Amino acid sequence: MFVLFAFGCEVEAPIREDVPELITQVTLTFTPAVGDPVVVTATDPDGEGVQDVQVDGDINLEAMKTYNLSLTLTNGLAAPSDPEYDVTEEVEEEGHEHLFYFSWTNDVFSDPSGDGNLDSRSDPINYDDEDVNGLPLGLQTTWTTAAAASGDFRVVLKHQPELKSATSESTVGETDLDITFTVNVE
Amino acid sequence: MAGVFLFRHTCAQECNGAFTGRVLDKGNQPLIGAAIMLSNSQKGTITDASGNFHFDRLCKGVYSVKVQYLGYETLEFKITVDGAVSRILHLKEDIRQLQEVVVEDELQHIEHAHNLATLNAKQLAESAGKSLGESLKEIPGVNTIQTGPGIFKPVIHGVHSQRVLILNHGIRQEGQQWGAEHAPEIDPFIASDVSVIKDASSIKYGTDAIGGVIVVNPAPLPEGAGIGGSLNMIGQSNGRSGTVSGMMEGGLKNLEGWGWRVQGTAKRSGDFHTPSYSLTNTGIKGLNFSASAGYHNQRFGFEVFFSHFNSELGILKGTSIGNQNDLEEAMERSIPLYTSSFSYTIGEPRQEVEHNLLKLSAHVKTKRGEIRLQYGFQNNQRKEFDLRIGDLSNTPELNLLLNTHTIEAEWETVRSEKWSVSTGATGMFQQNRKVDGTQRVPFIPDFNNISAGLFGVTKVYLNQWTIDVGARYDYKYYSVAGYDYKNSLFQSTLQFNNVSATAGATVGIKQNGTLNLNISSAWRPPHVAELYSVGTHQSAAANEYGFLLNDSTNEVHDIDDVSFKTEQALKFVGTYQHRWTKFTLEMTPYVNYIYNYIYLRPTGISQNVRGTYAYFRYTQTDALFLGADISGVWRVHPFVKVTPKVSLLRASDARNDDYLVFIPSNWYEIAIRYDRPTLGTLKNFFIESKTRYVSRQNRTPRVVTVKEINDAMDEGSDPFENDDSNFDFMEAPSGYVLWNAAAGVSIKGEKTQYDFRIGAENILNTTYREYTNRFRYYADDLGSNFIISVKCIF
Repeated sequence: MFVLFAFGCEVEAPIREDVPELITQVTLTFTPAVGDPVVVTATDPDGEGVQDVQVDGDINLEAMKTYNLSLTLTNGLAAPSDPEYDVTEEVEEEGHEHLFYFSWTNDVFSDPSGDGNLDSRSDPINYDDEDVNGLPLGLQTTWTTAAAASGDFRVVLKHQPELKSATSESTVGETDLDITFTVNVE
Repeated sequence: MAGVFLFRHTCAQECNGAFTGRVLDKGNQPLIGAAIMLSNSQKGTITDASGNFHFDRLCKGVYSVKVQYLGYETLEFKITVDGAVSRILHLKEDIRQLQEVVVEDELQHIEHAHNLATLNAKQLAESAGKSLGESLKEIPGVNTIQTGPGIFKPVIHGVHSQRVLILNHGIRQEGQQWGAEHAPEIDPFIASDVSVIKDASSIKYGTDAIGGVIVVNPAPLPEGAGIGGSLNMIGQSNGRSGTVSGMMEGGLKNLEGWGWRVQGTAKRSGDFHTPSYSLTNTGIKGLNFSASAGYHNQRFGFEVFFSHFNSELGILKGTSIGNQNDLEEAMERSIPLYTSSFSYTIGEPRQEVEHNLLKLSAHVKTKRGEIRLQYGFQNNQRKEFDLRIGDLSNTPELNLLLNTHTIEAEWETVRSEKWSVSTGATGMFQQNRKVDGTQRVPFIPDFNNISAGLFGVTKVYLNQWTIDVGARYDYKYYSVAGYDYKNSLFQSTLQFNNVSATAGATVGIKQNGTLNLNISSAWRPPHVAELYSVGTHQSAAANEYGFLLNDSTNEVHDIDDVSFKTEQALKFVGTYQHRWTKFTLEMTPYVNYIYNYIYLRPTGISQNVRGTYAYFRYTQTDALFLGADISGVWRVHPFVKVTPKVSLLRASDARNDDYLVFIPSNWYEIAIRYDRPTLGTLKNFFIESKTRYVSRQNRTPRVVTVKEINDAMDEGSDPFENDDSNFDFMEAPSGYVLWNAAAGVSIKGEKTQYDFRIGAENILNTTYREYTNRFRYYADDLGSNFIISVKCIF
């Protein structure tokens, strides 16, 4: 393809690109059947820059209670009116290539029990959503806390094009998201 | 020996032409007993005591002349005989390795070079089917930085990319050279020979030649009537690849001096394989063509050349990395992820590269010297595709368009028999633009670049000595506009200027020795990528930040606010060649000290929502490259020759007393070849065995494995906090030995010649990894490969 540009010394400002893949904010909303939701947000202030991700607090949950966890992914470098602001939708549309894995420490949850499916896919997670092939996705999950304890809660989103299956492990594919939170069950 | 055979139609009726002349050396001393052959008339003669020769009763037409004299380079050229023709022929002392036939006319671009090595037409034919970069690995001192089996970037004396200048048909190759996985966009089939200038003496072509220059030369256009051509077909087992390349050339009837050539190459390759598994998604598709036409006579000539290069390359799928954990996984796997059976399919990640070159050139000989003018337009488009979310895999994550106009004027005057002066000016206007729609913050900004240079070179012949001295001034202006990590606009202008200088000498020592010495100082303005890069780059698994980005905030600085100094090299190269009756030895030691050497230094760990990354920043240091290239030819028997080659290099970060990463290790090669120019009805029969030992690179920076980084991160510490010296993710792989063999034969017909060749590479199917292959972290190198090629010359 031949494209010629006008001669000139100064280069003109190029058109700004939309960046729909850039996730700078992850919001975890734990909603109990009764009571106020618990909301925790991890924010990356500079996308591809060198600054670290900041989490605005711990996940403080009540003991022996069931919560629905809903994940929201946004691109904070875009304006909320931009279509690229909401990355959750992109992931949902491509659910057959994506899967959320979870892991936690100190048995903070009684259901699912164990330590999550990050180390072994067959470990239980209560997925509440499905992709077009009927495989879990993980934007919506259910959690029942155990007795009072504190631990880490890690959320990993994997991109597994043509590799996602009922048994695909978290070591498969490319990582789109990997954040560790502190969870306190009181 | 020569690879050039020309079959021309000659008119039988007029056979009263004559061709006379003298054969002299550089000092204008007659060469006695030099052999002169007219290859298509079966005539030959020997010069007399005054160096004179004489042919008569020649039919009108074009003849191929070959002049040979022991210890001198063979001279070949074409001549049109119409009546009486007389020529003074100068032979050059053979300072070239291997004493192969080189067409003097074709070395027009490198007359001032002292330390060079050439792949001639025959050697190029034997590596047909390989990329330009891979073919050059034959030359001691030349290595490659490799990205898998398809991408070879030439490395001269340890440096590459912006530090190696490539001249294609006399035009500076301008693509996106800054990336280590960006191979030169040149079809090797367009070259009749490729030379590597190992010193920085060729200052005629501008800045950047810190490591050296690669000169890709076409054959001269035909000047007489008649049509010739060739068709070359190559099949290779590894990658199940096929390459077809054809060329036709000719002159115009009744329009003497006019010539034309068209040429094209198509290549298709599927997944390559290691001794034990397939390298999924490493296929190659290529389609290249070129056309040229021109007119030449004794006084002036002009030429038009156009070439189109198109290639699509798959990058091993198992190198797709999201974060540091993925990298750890990928490096620890014995077989890369996504590995599947052989396929021709090229999926993401992949590259699509297109390069167009238009060249117009003219020269005229006047009483006051020869004037040469040249204009080049290059159009380069590079697209890189990755696995992406949001249905973006078909959208390139990098899409750049680079247009370059170059203009050159040179005036060469021969002041006396022993003194010539050449002066000239060069200019370049270049525009780099992102193609909108990548939906990603651009990795490098848009820019305009205006460069101008002035040079002068003089050459003096004094007894045994040939001395040349040259100097050059260059100015470079950049106007830059791009987006930072926040996707907000920045704009800037930059200016650089500096001086380069070179001095060299060649001297014959007694009867059998030749010594070349060159010292040169070259500089290199920074590339925009080194100043402004931001983000991850294809299969790099690391974030790269330009020199002008703030250490902690990543905001873009103005260049005046940072302590940036342009890169400057001082290089010394010497070549000593000694010729015994049956053995020729050539040694080229060199020292290259590069001040303010720009490189990607590991700087720390950063985090975003995808996880952690090691990040690298463009930093400056002083680097020292020390080495020697050694080669020899031992004629054991008239038909048998043994060719040893050695390439030695040690490089260090002199400022920090550390080593640099990806420096080619030493290699040693021995080839044994049996050649029979005539064997019954067969011609050019050969059989060759080549064994190369590549030693382990022991001069490497420390190793910090991805696991160590990840473990440190888990403990909340930064492994680079107290030690930011260079590092590599993995130990250098072990040394290895590869054994290759080849055999070939030609069958000559009345008007056609067929060259058959079979070859085998890595015959023992050795499993190995090469230190300078960027895939060494993930996969083994190639297993055995069998090659069959047929070339028809008509």
